Amino acid sequence: MTLNGTRSLMVAAVASLMLSACATHTRYVDPAADDGPVAMTLDYRDFERAADNAVQDLLSSGAVDNPSGERYIMAVSRITNDTMQRIDTDQLTKKIRVALLRSGKVVTTTAVGVDGAEDQMNQQARELRNNDEFDQSGVQQKGTLKAPDLSLSGKIIQRNHKVEDEQQVEYYFQLSLTDLKSGLAIWENETPIIKRGPNDTVAW
Amino acid sequence: MTRVKALIGVICLSLLMAACAPVQPKREYVQRDDLKVDPEIRQSVQVQELLDKRVSLPNGGSLLRIQFSVQAYQDTDMEWAVTWFDEDGMVVPGVGEGYRPVRILRDQTRFFTATAPQEKAVSYQLHLREDRAP
Repeated sequence: MTLNGTRSLMVAAVASLMLSACATHTRYVDPAADDGPVAMTLDYRDFERAADNAVQDLLSSGAVDNPSGERYIMAVSRITNDTMQRIDTDQLTKKIRVALLRSGKVVTTTAVGVDGAEDQMNQQARELRNNDEFDQSGVQQKGTLKAPDLSLSGKIIQRNHKVEDEQQVEYYFQLSLTDLKSGLAIWENETPIIKRGPNDTVAW
Repeated sequence: MTRVKALIGVICLSLLMAACAPVQPKREYVQRDDLKVDPEIRQSVQVQELLDKRVSLPNGGSLLRIQFSVQAYQDTDMEWAVTWFDEDGMVVPGVGEGYRPVRILRDQTRFFTATAPQEKAVSYQLHLREDRAP
């Protein structure tokens, strides 16, 4: 190998080492100790905070405390995403559902939903009724599904503002719990999450 | 001789400047089972009060609720989280494990509340730490 060839090889090796040293590496994030930068978009921390705030308020309000001691049955209605981001609103509702179930006060039905049953197996399992191929003792009988007492609905709103040379993005998590017997909203909550950052960051 | 005078002058000046500097009182931190404040923010904030009570619910049960106030001696970005425990000392899971970021301005006192996610929570630990976001 010529001297020039060796030099080129060494330069390439050093350059590639430098590049690999600068590259960020993939790593796990512990939600309990996440020191990472804040994004202008909604991230898991925002959903966690909104859900935590809602659950604390809901439980301490006594709205889901059934005087009979039994658990209320809740259906999840429509949670409207009025932001510029594509959001699966289950990120919010699932956290609330899990916390309410653990509290022992509310259980969520998957047999009733705005766009049909969340778990269609509720219905399909009943279609096995009178099918000779199945042991009928294990098939669900008529009138066993529980109707919901409560309905959870809500909206996530986004508003953008220019503040001098920065932008401000406001998110509002609005939730209502309706007593389906009376149609009255027996609990309502709003959690604002406000973020301010440089103009070159994107909030959608 | 001139050199000695200059040296004495410098010493006097530095002593004078040190005397004029605002004295940062050493704040006392009492170790408690229910409160943990990280050393990084102990000199800038102080937990003034930490109260707890059980909130009665319509079915006869109750939920543990805490309220605490924090006073800042300088503008401080901090985070807080509450861990709940049942009577056996086991952690009672809440919605998440994340810390809540807050900013407290100098001489400002802010009040915070948190409610346990389940009735079986009987004790807690409040943790205050510095805001570590870059």
